[in-house]
Amino acid sequence: MEMIVNTVRILEHDQAKEHMFGDDKSLKENVALALINPENLKGLKLTSNSNIKISSQFGSVILKIIEDENVPIGIINIPVSIWANQLTGVENDQLIYKNLKVKVEPSNDPVLDFEDLILKIKPN
Amino acid sequence: MDRVTCTGCSLLCDDIIIRTDGLYIDEIIGACLKGKERFDQITAKNRIINPFIRKNGELEKVSWDEAFEKVLTIMKTSSKPLLYGFSNSSCEAQLKGIRLAKKIDGFIDSNSTICQGKTLNISRDSGMTLTTISEIINNVDTLILWGLNAAESIPRLLNKTLFTRGKFRMTGREIKTLIIVDPVKSSSFGVMGPRDLALFIEPNRDLELIKILKDECCTADSIPSGGGAGLDESDIRRMLQHLQGAENAVIFVGQGILTTQGNENALKELLELIELVNIQQKKGRISLVMVGGHYNMAGFDHVALTETGKNQNLQFKNNQIIKSNDTIISKIKNEDFDYTIIVGTDPISHLPHQLSSKLASKPIILIDNRKSGISQLADVVLPTAITGIECAGLAYRLDQVPIELKKLVNPPNNVPSDEELLDQIIERLSKK
Amino acid sequence: MAFALALLKGDEKIDDCPPLLEAKYKKNYDILKEMLGEEEGQKKELRIDVDTELCDGCGICVTVCPVNARYCPSSLSGKAPDYPPESHQLFQVKNGKCELLHLEYCRRLEAGGRERECRVCESYCPRDAVTIDYQ
Repeated sequence: MEMIVNTVRILEHDQAKEHMFGDDKSLKENVALALINPENLKGLKLTSNSNIKISSQFGSVILKIIEDENVPIGIINIPVSIWANQLTGVENDQLIYKNLKVKVEPSNDPVLDFEDLILKIKPN
Repeated sequence: MDRVTCTGCSLLCDDIIIRTDGLYIDEIIGACLKGKERFDQITAKNRIINPFIRKNGELEKVSWDEAFEKVLTIMKTSSKPLLYGFSNSSCEAQLKGIRLAKKIDGFIDSNSTICQGKTLNISRDSGMTLTTISEIINNVDTLILWGLNAAESIPRLLNKTLFTRGKFRMTGREIKTLIIVDPVKSSSFGVMGPRDLALFIEPNRDLELIKILKDECCTADSIPSGGGAGLDESDIRRMLQHLQGAENAVIFVGQGILTTQGNENALKELLELIELVNIQQKKGRISLVMVGGHYNMAGFDHVALTETGKNQNLQFKNNQIIKSNDTIISKIKNEDFDYTIIVGTDPISHLPHQLSSKLASKPIILIDNRKSGISQLADVVLPTAITGIECAGLAYRLDQVPIELKKLVNPPNNVPSDEELLDQIIERLSKK
Repeated sequence: MAFALALLKGDEKIDDCPPLLEAKYKKNYDILKEMLGEEEGQKKELRIDVDTELCDGCGICVTVCPVNARYCPSSLSGKAPDYPPESHQLFQVKNGKCELLHLEYCRRLEAGGRERECRVCESYCPRDAVTIDYQ
């Protein structure tokens, strides 16, 4: 199914804050999230707290779903983070991180850890 | 008790009261959660107070001399450095950064380039009407948030601008109108009242709305009966009435309008719309405020303009600034660099994955007060003091007003400020 | 207004207001009876709760509270009130979260006879972190 992703700033879901006060576990739990309208979840036959695979033209990522009725239908809000940036990219030398067209599907795979994503960026 | 300035965001609130013993800050009165977290950085888990070098894949604590040796070695064996960050540093540090870039034939840019710096560039043709926070408190009767979720990025902004009773707006909230243009019902909508206007514009259609408003501005013809950009005709009409009828309006622009696919001209058209209304108006005026997250995002533009005549994308060669069509994005994308110096920011958390990978493929020198995503990839990590808390400096607020930041506590381990550290690097380079 | 507040606190009952017993106000009388139900006349205390999980320290409650405004006039222009707090100051933002200091001076309870059904802190909080209740 096609939807639109926006990377957003949310005070409670902040990567820098987790680096300061949390640990890798809380970082993943509080930041690797996809906020979706409950109506969309019904259509996708998904529930809050299950995982979703989101793919854009630049990459894909698995995130945990959080239901949020303030997010409009058809849109996914993702907190700015290393997870969100698996989907963002560059086009014509401009950063694309809002109104990103994506495909979504349910997933049984786990959300990757912060360390896994760092390894993806630079395999040791 | 003395008031201090908070460096949690670009609002730079200067009414904060703290209780401190010179080493720690025990109580913070007046600062919002974002500000409190900034003060908490002194004792955060990821605070660094020693230099590190990556050896055999792991970061190892080293002496300052060894760290500087490593930095100089990287510099001497490379020729195309990239310098990025600086929005969390004082203006003095930003200036040193530019001078360092000049010395090493570097390309330097700040976080502003992917944020409010865009607005500055676009305003070259249309001009821009600015305002200050005091003017907003005392005079403004209409506030517009365009693509900005103020409640999340700058928690005290709405408090200070919408709810305050200024000299000429003594009835405060009752006399002020809030208009929010955003596709999502963000937490900022929580302050909406009955006389306010919520415009749930469809994603990517800001340009369409602005064009309709521009057309209507000069004539009194009717707006398309079906509305536009996902909005009703009546809502667009109300927006136009507010724009034309406001005595003193201010538009806060955020990421929502700065970055949209196929919508790049939206900001340019918005600036033109504002100037159009201002020319037409005999009594009222509309101003613009560019909103950035980091507390000194506006500073780099000012410092760079004063020092070099250019506000971003500074490419140096043979001690001079040269013409360049490159941006930090194109430089990284095209791998047109052989090492990077990152100052006070974590590119891993805000740059796309493909760019982070390219950064990681070359040596990285990190100058910051804490570990983060980028420190996992850096080859050298140099610790610094937290500006505005452990060292003094100048910063520019989001309304372009310069604010002096004071030193409140001593930095742990006597770590240098960004300015001092960059100075030391320049000095050591000059010696060799 | 004072009677309305007294009803909520349980200090008075609906029948204590002679005009309400008149035929032309029967509809209002019935509505009030339904609203208060069995709790009519039960002594209650005013509570103003700030949910610290939701609060982000924006300080809007500090600025809009009429009691704060009267005793800490600098808050009218958005400036954080002095510390230690004024004797009558109701709200303060400490360590990033809002704190209620002196509930007894809330305008709902004590305003020299000019008590008001004031709810500005509750209605203007953007995160619905403030709740006014009688328990």
